[in-house]
Amino acid sequence: MTKEERLKKRHSAEKRFRFYGLASIFLALLFVLILVHNIFSKGSSAFMKTAINVEVFFDQELLEIKNGASDDEILEADFFDITIESLIKVYPAKNVEEEDALIELFTTDAEIEIKRAFLENNNLIGKKINLEITASDDIDQLHKGNYPRDIPEDRRRISDFQLVIYDNLVENQKIVKNFNNYFFKNGDSRDPELAGIGGALIGSFYSIIICLLLAFPVAVLASIYLEEFAPKNKITDFIEININNLAAVPSIVYGLLALQILLATIQLPRSTPLVAGITLALMTLPRIIIPCRASLKAVPPSIREGALAVGASKFQSVFHHVVPLALPGTLSGTIIGLAQALGETAPLILIGMVAFVVDIPSTPIDPSSSLPVQVYLWSESAERGFVEKTSATIMMLLSFLIVMNFLAVYLRQKFEKRWN
Amino acid sequence: MNEIKIKSKNLNVYYGEKQALFDVNLDLNEKEVTALIGPSGCGKSTFIRCINRMNDVIDICKVSGNIEIDGVEINDKNLDVVSLRERVGMVFQKPNPFPKSIYDNISYGPKIHGKGETKSELDEIVENSLKKAALWEEVKDRLDEPGTGLSGGQQQRLCIARAISVNPEVILMDEPCSALDPIATAKIEELIDELKKTYTIVIVTHSMAQAVRVSQKTGFFHLGKLIEVGKTEKIFKNPDNKMTQDYITGRFG
Repeated sequence: MTKEERLKKRHSAEKRFRFYGLASIFLALLFVLILVHNIFSKGSSAFMKTAINVEVFFDQELLEIKNGASDDEILEADFFDITIESLIKVYPAKNVEEEDALIELFTTDAEIEIKRAFLENNNLIGKKINLEITASDDIDQLHKGNYPRDIPEDRRRISDFQLVIYDNLVENQKIVKNFNNYFFKNGDSRDPELAGIGGALIGSFYSIIICLLLAFPVAVLASIYLEEFAPKNKITDFIEININNLAAVPSIVYGLLALQILLATIQLPRSTPLVAGITLALMTLPRIIIPCRASLKAVPPSIREGALAVGASKFQSVFHHVVPLALPGTLSGTIIGLAQALGETAPLILIGMVAFVVDIPSTPIDPSSSLPVQVYLWSESAERGFVEKTSATIMMLLSFLIVMNFLAVYLRQKFEKRWN
Repeated sequence: MNEIKIKSKNLNVYYGEKQALFDVNLDLNEKEVTALIGPSGCGKSTFIRCINRMNDVIDICKVSGNIEIDGVEINDKNLDVVSLRERVGMVFQKPNPFPKSIYDNISYGPKIHGKGETKSELDEIVENSLKKAALWEEVKDRLDEPGTGLSGGQQQRLCIARAISVNPEVILMDEPCSALDPIATAKIEELIDELKKTYTIVIVTHSMAQAVRVSQKTGFFHLGKLIEVGKTEKIFKNPDNKMTQDYITGRFG
């Protein structure tokens, strides 16, 4: 081979490598794009809800309360009759079946929505006002275009008569799209139009806070001791190997452990953020220790020697110099560990967070759901309304993870000090 | 001839199985500069790290034999290394200022030893230390800037000032100029000349010329043994040992 040929071969090898690298990056980006597009196209509609403009007449005879009634009286009062009366006036119905079909266009919570409007303004007796009542899941999906109307009536959840009413309402501009506050405010529900991630958000929040409070101090102290104070011998080697092994243990194993020890033996309350937090802390602990030790190791020995040489004790050299320098790395490691914990599903399913919880937890020992488990729960539901809710929840979860990861990068860059 | 400040007797150092120093007997005089020369890995750094017990940091390092400062044994398990290092300062091969302000670099030592209770006392210590290290004029207007932002030579003088700040009796210097350019080196050498009036200085150096310029006494190490020690003039002009002769004339090393 001549010199020119060899040179050409070397150049083409480099070009080939560059091409493979670019192709890999392109492929990875493509997958991310497909994923994001899929989630967004399915999920973005969940942030809006369909409502129907209804004229509500607060008939004193039907309500049996007066203007200026106290909140307790209003809560006691029966709004069912005026709800039905108002809803069936949306379209002229000829018989009871048609009236039922009309009422089915609205959410089962229509009565509560009307009551809520009255609570805000209790001088409405004898008056007529227009209220936007949330539509049923079927109408919501139909209006968002997720529901095919060209299939035979017996295979549709919406009857031909209901379609006629819907078209009439659209024509009269009675149907509106509002911001879906239920999605953020409500807990889970069997009715997709009422289901929200409020409970899951609070549950995840409590779990992560408990996880942070338990895992962070233990992980930091363990790392500092192992890295700076522990003698290097077989025992510490053994501990180190086991920490690395623990970080690789499948998360479901921690779920089994929690099931056996926290629930069966200690009898902590099932399905609660407390148990979830403890389980996630066990799982996150080694995942924080590893980056924490790495950032301690990255502090140059010359800093330790400099401190020792002016007469600092070992403790002072570690806590005055090494730990502050390792802190940015430690914090970002912790945040990334917590982000992983936030997205963890399997162990939470085992400790019973998969239960159907309607109430929003007010303390960490109330039964609750969490964001990833909510995704799992909804993805199994048959109703079309839950498809968009599943994707929207994934969007929320992903945005939390992105925020946390950005925070980790930001903290590292902002507070990292350079030496020499 | 000044009085003997530091005295080592039958000093042996082991790194695990490997022996790094063999029966070193070396006396260092007070308020004098002693230079330690020898090829890489000959044990000169190991020797000075015994004087402030810096080898304690290395797990596998074992030291046997005696080192006395002012007649007091320091190679003693019960001795408090913190107060020893307050008396014996050290400057390292690579400048290693803390990634803090210039002021904090100097005030850290006095603070942890309880010197300088008030801000004005600390200010005074910082100013005096920087003046003694011939750095005051260059940094007096930017004491709150990071010490790591200074040039290499300035950083090394900052480290010297940091060592001085706790008012030690001995300053150990482990190749303090090896990372510096000739001008910065010249400044440090001038500084060493000035400092020897107050402190006992031990300097490890690879530069024969530097040993001649700054030291009054020179020790030559080879393979962990102290081959020859004596007045610097004598060592460089008329050494007793053939190996010393070969090393200083550049035949090996």
